[in-house]
Amino acid sequence: MSEEVLAPMAGKIIKMNIEVGSQVEEDEEIIIIEAMKMETPIFAPCDGKITKIMKKEGDEIEEDDQIAIIE
Amino acid sequence: MRPYFEKMDPFGKELKKGELKRTEDNIKEIEAAEGKINEAVDKIKHVGLPTEKINSRGQMTVWQRLDYLVDEGTWCPLHSLYNPLDNEEGTTNVVDGIGKISGKWAIIIGFDNKLMAGAWMPGQSENILRVTDLSKRLNLPLVWIVNCSGAKLPEQEKFYANRRGAGTPFYRHAELEQMGIPVLAGIYGTNPAGGGYQSISPTILFAHKDCNIAVGGAGIVSGMAPQGGFNSEMAEALIEKAKTHKAKPPGSAKTHYDETGFFRYVYEEEKGVLDGLKDYMKDMPAYNPKFFRVAEPKAPAYPENDIMRLLPIEPKRIYDFDQILSRLVDGGEHSEFRPDYGPEVYTGICKIDGFLVACIGNRQGYLGKGYPEYADYPGIGGKLYRQGLIKMNEFITLCGRDRIPIMWFQDTSGIDVGDIAEKAELLGLGQSQIYSIQQTDVPMMLVVLRKGSAAAHYVMGGPTANRHNAFTLGTIATEIYVMHGETAAVASYARRLVKEKEAGNPLDPVIDNMNALADKYHETSRPLFCAKHGLVDEIVNLKDLRKYMVAFAGGAYQNPKSICPQHQMILPRIIKG
Repeated sequence: MSEEVLAPMAGKIIKMNIEVGSQVEEDEEIIIIEAMKMETPIFAPCDGKITKIMKKEGDEIEEDDQIAIIE
Repeated sequence: MRPYFEKMDPFGKELKKGELKRTEDNIKEIEAAEGKINEAVDKIKHVGLPTEKINSRGQMTVWQRLDYLVDEGTWCPLHSLYNPLDNEEGTTNVVDGIGKISGKWAIIIGFDNKLMAGAWMPGQSENILRVTDLSKRLNLPLVWIVNCSGAKLPEQEKFYANRRGAGTPFYRHAELEQMGIPVLAGIYGTNPAGGGYQSISPTILFAHKDCNIAVGGAGIVSGMAPQGGFNSEMAEALIEKAKTHKAKPPGSAKTHYDETGFFRYVYEEEKGVLDGLKDYMKDMPAYNPKFFRVAEPKAPAYPENDIMRLLPIEPKRIYDFDQILSRLVDGGEHSEFRPDYGPEVYTGICKIDGFLVACIGNRQGYLGKGYPEYADYPGIGGKLYRQGLIKMNEFITLCGRDRIPIMWFQDTSGIDVGDIAEKAELLGLGQSQIYSIQQTDVPMMLVVLRKGSAAAHYVMGGPTANRHNAFTLGTIATEIYVMHGETAAVASYARRLVKEKEAGNPLDPVIDNMNALADKYHETSRPLFCAKHGLVDEIVNLKDLRKYMVAFAGGAYQNPKSICPQHQMILPRIIKG
């Protein structure tokens, strides 16, 4: 079963704490987005393994963009 | 009204495993930073003569007197680091706070008799006026521990005169008395001149047998009229006179008990004075708390220490304000006002120690698609938009109608700016909020959780709302400024950069100035600066926030000047719909 990690808002990815193959736990901080001078962390929605990453640090993103997939 | 208040809507949720893990570092950072503030406070407590020295003279220190006077566990100190005129001693030489005496809330203040026998010092009158303001705002008795040797003479020009100088507190005492607010004074030591008025201006005077109060002191060697300066001959004459100068201080306890009768009581023991104050406090006008409680007091539903995990010390990090509030209020229960409108601010009624209070706070983070509705840009919490301002105006107005004290929680970067925001009337709505606050006449307290910035600091019950704001608390994450330092540097130097560039001049000097300005903003917005200059009344450890909220709510409901019967309140019904 896979779960998508989606951008909750438009902004810029300033930190990626994951890479393909990383094991993550639910609620672990995996990505930080900066928008309007504030940092919004994105947490892993479930336990699992990162199987795909579509964005990288420095990328500008739009709301609901796919950032990663957790299996 | 039991159905409205006894069991309100639960809010907040338990922290998950992942949250507990990733917030460990935040706790460590907060503890380290709070430790530095606590050290600074402790240093002020130990200023002047050592306790043993004072005790060896048969006297108690102001701290020992407070410890004996105030009910255990109720002391909430204020102005611990207040020192606006940068006295080398680090203090204004008074100690104050809110606490219970004999079960009744009081505003309590005493001179620090360890330092220059409790002398007047620069900044002290401003400190005292904050205290008399607090007593007036909460309609609570003011209890003084007087032990004041008079002015620190070498610096009298900084505080003796002026509109808010050392004489102004005596007018404030008179004003409190006119309003029916008693001022009690326990009097110790030698209190000449200013110390004399400090002693005589309260309502009832409880004296220690060795104290004296007088228009002037005996310490001035007579016969030395000003002669245009000093020389060695005069110095020799002065030495001779000083050696033989022996005068009993005027205005002894005997004089003012037997002759003038100013002293209502005289006590043999130091503790007797405090016992006298305690005895009178039992009879101070106060409602039984059950008169105003809307429910039995409850502890918060979740651990209060969670706040150290929930409030990121990193100022750019977003967080969930509702989660923090749920750790502060009784039972983690509330009734939220207009949850579907103005999402950037929380407005709701909650209970503190069984008393109904209103809470208003900035929410953080992205506010969702299409908000603010008048703009083509996204909204982010911490900023105020049209709906949030309208919602707060409504809520405040209803709180005034229902006589509900308000607790503000600021973490705001300001009100939305730009031409679109102007068309959305934000300037007018901000001032409308000031008008709404002004017309409520209910007591308010403020916690600046992190940022207090721009006009939002004013309109969200900040210290500038000083007829309503009883006190403002800061935390270790507090920063207060008109705007961020780097924003200020850009505003100040952007044009200069253009000019220098066009003239072919080096940019480094301008860049240095920009960095210097940003650094200055940083330094002058931190918790220690805020406390020293009175931008907050106290920096409080996060675990103690609820204690101050309990003191505020208990104080506000002890003897309110106007009341709304619970069954005639309209706000809970509007929330219910």
